[in-house]
Amino acid sequence: MQKVISINLNGNAYQLDESGYEALREYLARAEAELEGNPDRTEIMADLEQAIADKCRKFLGPHKSVVLAGEVEEIVKEMGPIDAAAGDEAEESGGGTDKPPAGAARPPKRLYRILDGAMVAGVCNGLAAYLGIDAAFLRVGFVLAALLTKGAAIMAYVVMMFIIPEANTPERRAAAGEAPFNAKDVVDRA
Amino acid sequence: MGIQDKFAAIRKGLLEFLILKIVAADKVYVADILKRLSGTDFATQEGTLYPLLSKMRRDGLVDYEWQESDAGPPRKYYELTAKGKSQLAELTDYWKHLNATITQLGR
Repeated sequence: MQKVISINLNGNAYQLDESGYEALREYLARAEAELEGNPDRTEIMADLEQAIADKCRKFLGPHKSVVLAGEVEEIVKEMGPIDAAAGDEAEESGGGTDKPPAGAARPPKRLYRILDGAMVAGVCNGLAAYLGIDAAFLRVGFVLAALLTKGAAIMAYVVMMFIIPEANTPERRAAAGEAPFNAKDVVDRA
Repeated sequence: MGIQDKFAAIRKGLLEFLILKIVAADKVYVADILKRLSGTDFATQEGTLYPLLSKMRRDGLVDYEWQESDAGPPRKYYELTAKGKSQLAELTDYWKHLNATITQLGR
């Protein structure tokens, strides 16, 4: 004995047995996915549902009110797979968007000490690159902070010097925001 | 697998032309179009036809109107627009041209 599920096909109620329901749900979900981006998707889905409803009606009579799994299978086969390429040129133009945008190749920005042009251990240099500001401002700020805090800022600098890793590989240098990571950079360092 | 497979892409490409022909001859709804094509080499299914018709309508080649049917809900009856008619004429000419080329080439 199978459970019966009532469905609404474009405004018509039909009763399907459980496995028939699953098969039809799957077909319609696939159709909907296939028509992704089609400006007439809603309309085409309604047309398909209507066509399925018409086909369901053929299997029903005064003494038969449920469409069975085998009949649903037959209906789905008769409908055929959704050929979105026949209906929409978005298919081809959509193909190009699989490629990630050029900027995505850049690694996420991370905080490193940058020794190129560093005054002490590259902490201010790295912070400046990370924050996108001029290292000189940070350095002046640091010296002022050191004076105001009677040297506590110097301790902070020393601590940061130890906990912030050095940008010592091309990847790290790129992530530090120092210089664009490119093929030449890799070759130079190889 | 057979010799027909070699022309599968051509048949698919010709479908739009054939639909223009069918719609030009008669005011039809989708089941009529399927019936006309069934049993021919161009037999197709709803899954292909609905997306194709909606594209042709977007391109301004066909249009439809709802009509009551004796049995069941109202149906979409398709007909050619002016643009569809002129495109059908062009395609028919081009098809004749292709046909002539094929006949003339080789033996």
